[in-house]
Amino acid sequence: MPSLKIDHQRCTECRMCYIVCREIDINAVYVALEPLHHIEIDLQKCTYPGCTACLMYCPAEGSIVEVETGRSMVPPPPDAWQEA
Amino acid sequence: MHPILEQFLDKWVWPTMPGAPGADFRLRLTREKCVNGWEISLQRTLGEIEEELASNDENWKKERALRGYAAEGVHMSIKQMSGQLLSVDIADQERYIDLQRMRARQIWDECKHSKLHADVLLGKGWIKDERELMDIAQANTQPLPAYFGLSMMFPHIHPLARAAQNYYQEANACIGIMAYLDRVDDPLVRHEHLSQRDEELMHFMEGKFQIDFLCATAETQKPVEDALDYLLHQVGGIR
Repeated sequence: MPSLKIDHQRCTECRMCYIVCREIDINAVYVALEPLHHIEIDLQKCTYPGCTACLMYCPAEGSIVEVETGRSMVPPPPDAWQEA
Repeated sequence: MHPILEQFLDKWVWPTMPGAPGADFRLRLTREKCVNGWEISLQRTLGEIEEELASNDENWKKERALRGYAAEGVHMSIKQMSGQLLSVDIADQERYIDLQRMRARQIWDECKHSKLHADVLLGKGWIKDERELMDIAQANTQPLPAYFGLSMMFPHIHPLARAAQNYYQEANACIGIMAYLDRVDDPLVRHEHLSQRDEELMHFMEGKFQIDFLCATAETQKPVEDALDYLLHQVGGIR
């Protein structure tokens, strides 16, 4: 299954993804303790591509990418939200 | 439709979380009401930019920076954030992400805005340091009663009214920033706008998320529609 990660060169640390993920009770997005308290995604909890919430509400272009392909998922491409 | 608006819609508005319970409501409001208002706002902004660029002097940059400082300066931002927090019962505050965020991040963000405007004034040599702005009335006067004053920003009857405001009004900010970045070459003016782009879009996303997830019933949709009707009425009687 494909998975997501944060591109820290593009992320503004606004934490919309963290809040959205928490609000829908998945809690895969967390704030890493060390060294810079960056936002990270726990791949054990993340249900992507089943859930795409963080992608739909992230305001920083290019800041969430698909691990396997390196593809930018912000803004979300059509296949992330449109039915086939 | 103007290509700038079309680009904004395609990138940030139409993508929708499948199954979000209020998404159909948001998309209906967007198609029926918001797009028209956004188009009008964009055309106004583009007209202002054309006038500014045609003026052949830099005074408009100074005017914009002073106005921006007044609207988003440290004192105004703290007043605004405090007002929004105080207008919602403490027990209800945890339900609304924009209120949670104010404690964590928003005041810092708002204060950053004022620094961007000060950067223009400092960079152009119009002031020697930021303290001078305390003596300039234009940098300390807020003439927009509907935005930061009593009629909208301060005593929200329902927090979801602010979701409507974030969704509609912050989109106007985003589209306006896109227009400036599209038309203006001055690096300081671009800095003033570019640094603010993601932050305004974040507010839009707060509104988008709250409408998508919290506005699935007539009861929760009403404050959004009421606020939106008020905001659209302001821009020219759109209903």
